[in-house]
Amino acid sequence: MNIDLTQAALKFTPFHNRTSRACRTNSWYRWSGYTVVAEYSTTELEYTATRNGTSVMDLTPMYKYEIKGERAKEFINYFVTRDLSEMKDNTVAYVIWCNEAGKVVDDGTVFCLNQNEFKICCAVKMQTWLKDSAEGFDLDINDVTDDIAALSVQGPTSCSVLKNYGATNLESLKPFESKDFTIDGYSVLISRTGFTGDLGYELWTNPENAEKMWDSLMESGKHLKIRPMGMHALEMVRIEAGFIQTGTDFVSTEHALRPVRMRSPYEIGMGWLVHLTKKDYFIGKRALKAEKENGTTERVLVGLDIEGDKPAHGAVIYNKKKEDVGIVTAALWSPTLKRNIAIASLMRPYGTKIKDDIFVEIYHPEELEYKKIWATCKVVKRQFYSPERRNMVPAEVY
Amino acid sequence: MSIKYDVIIVGGGHNALICANVLAKKNKKVLICEARETCGGLLTNDLTNFTPSFSNKVKSEIDNISVDHSSVSTIALSETGHHLKLTGNIYEDKKTLEQLAPEDVDRYFKLQKKLSLFSKTLGSFMHSSPPRILHKSFSDYFKLFKLGLNVRLMGRNSFNEFARMIGLNIADELEDNFKNTLLQGLISHDAITGSNLGPRSPGSLINLLFRMANHDNSLFGGIQQVKGGVNAVMKSLEENVIKRGVEIKTSSSVKRCIIENDQVKGIELDDGTSIHANTVISSADPKSTYLCLLGAEHLDTDFKRRIKHYRAKGRVSKLQLVLSKIPQFTNLESKDLSQRLVISPSIDYIEENFNYSKFENLSPEPILELSVPSVEDELLCHNGNHIMNVQIQYAPFNVKGGWENKKAECINNVLTTLEKYAPEIRSCILEQEFISPNDIEKNFNVSGGHWHHGEIQIDQLFMLRPIPGAAQYKTPVSGLYMCGAGTHPGGGMTGIPGKNAAHEVLKNI
Repeated sequence: MNIDLTQAALKFTPFHNRTSRACRTNSWYRWSGYTVVAEYSTTELEYTATRNGTSVMDLTPMYKYEIKGERAKEFINYFVTRDLSEMKDNTVAYVIWCNEAGKVVDDGTVFCLNQNEFKICCAVKMQTWLKDSAEGFDLDINDVTDDIAALSVQGPTSCSVLKNYGATNLESLKPFESKDFTIDGYSVLISRTGFTGDLGYELWTNPENAEKMWDSLMESGKHLKIRPMGMHALEMVRIEAGFIQTGTDFVSTEHALRPVRMRSPYEIGMGWLVHLTKKDYFIGKRALKAEKENGTTERVLVGLDIEGDKPAHGAVIYNKKKEDVGIVTAALWSPTLKRNIAIASLMRPYGTKIKDDIFVEIYHPEELEYKKIWATCKVVKRQFYSPERRNMVPAEVY
Repeated sequence: MSIKYDVIIVGGGHNALICANVLAKKNKKVLICEARETCGGLLTNDLTNFTPSFSNKVKSEIDNISVDHSSVSTIALSETGHHLKLTGNIYEDKKTLEQLAPEDVDRYFKLQKKLSLFSKTLGSFMHSSPPRILHKSFSDYFKLFKLGLNVRLMGRNSFNEFARMIGLNIADELEDNFKNTLLQGLISHDAITGSNLGPRSPGSLINLLFRMANHDNSLFGGIQQVKGGVNAVMKSLEENVIKRGVEIKTSSSVKRCIIENDQVKGIELDDGTSIHANTVISSADPKSTYLCLLGAEHLDTDFKRRIKHYRAKGRVSKLQLVLSKIPQFTNLESKDLSQRLVISPSIDYIEENFNYSKFENLSPEPILELSVPSVEDELLCHNGNHIMNVQIQYAPFNVKGGWENKKAECINNVLTTLEKYAPEIRSCILEQEFISPNDIEKNFNVSGGHWHHGEIQIDQLFMLRPIPGAAQYKTPVSGLYMCGAGTHPGGGMTGIPGKNAAHEVLKNI
């Protein structure tokens, strides 16, 4: 296939030569100015690879920022709501950050490379917000998205695949730790992180090594059920894992056109990441403290277990008086759990104090007609799927 | 740790002194830390020629200020020698105008009456904290209602006229009404002086109303010359607060505020000394207060953006000339030189000057306000020599090429302009000292070197001054307040920000 790169409106990732060859469906997905594969063969196969073998996904379009300087750590701790004052070198933390009204700008991961150098990896373009936030800190902040080729290698056999690939002693790496490896003469940063809720790793390397890395990984996983995964399958596994996605389960303050659509961490199940006891100030602390003290949180993000087997995409949620009390933000018939699950945003006290008598109205399309299903549902933990191996140290090796 | 003071005030300008006076009258133990060797801030004889007097509301809350003062007239200089002298006194002004601008007499007094009504209405909001709009508190709503009501109570016609004029530029209003260009130039001058607006910039009228509100609601009245200059007023204010037990530390530059758990705990001086108090009031400008004293790490991103965008670049430079003799001005007696002389002959003259400053250049023919106050007050002589104070409008902060290279050019432009009115001026000069907005920033610790600690424009006034989320003299950090010209109602020698801030503080301690 000959593609004139200069004519492309979307950027190709460094893996494009490999992913486009593996993509049998020619089905693409637009992601942050890049084009990535939506589905390589069938979504179900790719999903199954993540749950039963190993899937490889091109993560390059995730925005990555480098933050360097003497006050880098102080800044990171001020930038995010979580207390990272004790963050150690070669560790990763899942974080969210807010604006002055205590509404979530985005979520992402912070990589501590050393005490004066951090990287932030997130879904929303953050250059301006980072720079303006860093006013007064005298830091070097750069968008390094294009400088890093990133892959996500996830699934029960992922540790074995990477060991075959050359990551010695990888099984001893704990969740949210990272380590530099030199493989085939190039360096790769491997972190035990992911978006699938299973055992898994993310790999960063220089774009020039991208194709080599892809080929070695595929070769290493030949007998370990390795398979490239597209964006559609990712959506399935992340819902099972209960991970939230910016733009789907909440709207970033940078994108929300209506101020009322902005969400506080407490409204999207991220209250556990807000450390009001943190010694130093962080962006949004005053507003979040007031919200907590005054109990003004309006919504809650919950997991729903819905009767039947028809996924409740975008369904409206009602109480028994048939009053609208919320909306489903993501839904899935989970093949692994054999449950009809959903992530939903509810108006409190529904989802907090009132957990019974909640209904969803599912419009299920059946050959040019909608079948209207009135299904009862249960409020459950949003983390639907979390196998023990996910956090096991040493990691399972086959 | 013993806490000796109830309140520490950072900076010792007139607002700080007045704030201290009001607090000390309520038996609060106050410490003032001033970075310079003397108190007074921007109000020193080096920078300020004339002053309005404090309003009765301010006077009633502070101790008596013992200074002698005389009123000053404004003389618009004309190259033809037909200078226009306005005093604020209706009879004298009428006589003058009938002679020089007979067609404009009636319209001048009509304009004066109209603007006076508006400035009074605006002035009525100046003496209390501006209302907060989003806090759903009854008193705030009531204040807002009163504000609206006051505007409405001017009557239907005035209300419509007010609504029409509030965003208007001064040139449109004057060109519609007046024939005499010198009169147009003079009124426009007072509308743009100290600001970053030209006479054709929208909103230049509100600047004039603001000035009038602090000058007896009159176009050219209410301007005073104090015996000993403005330094005498500052000295009197200082003596009053010292009598009240306020401590003043001069040459004590404050490095930062000490913050613990989002609550101010005191200040740290440049020399490392810490002084504790649970209330700190900053009379510094908003940018210095937030970005230097408080520190970026205590502020939200959105807040920092607003503070960064707060417009506070000064446009006025100052030239002091020590004279060997009093220069002869065409058609002026030497005693007239103690009055306020303005070289701003027409609206176009100002607008052209403004164009230069827009692009951070110097105008070859600057707009000047000058006076030789020592003619009437020997206290203001320098080693027995007279001093001419020249204020240069639109000599911008960060001039292109840098002030260190542009100073001489600017002085030369001033003198060339002056020569048209006083041909022998150059031969009378013994010494000269030039103060650019950058010098003001450096020497007086005012970021941007702006007279009013920030532009007086509709988006930076009332509940928006200095920025939304930090009006009412409060800051996001509890215990830290502001009382400088960067707060409501703004700059000028009014003392109102200081007085209002003191009341806001008293409500909370």
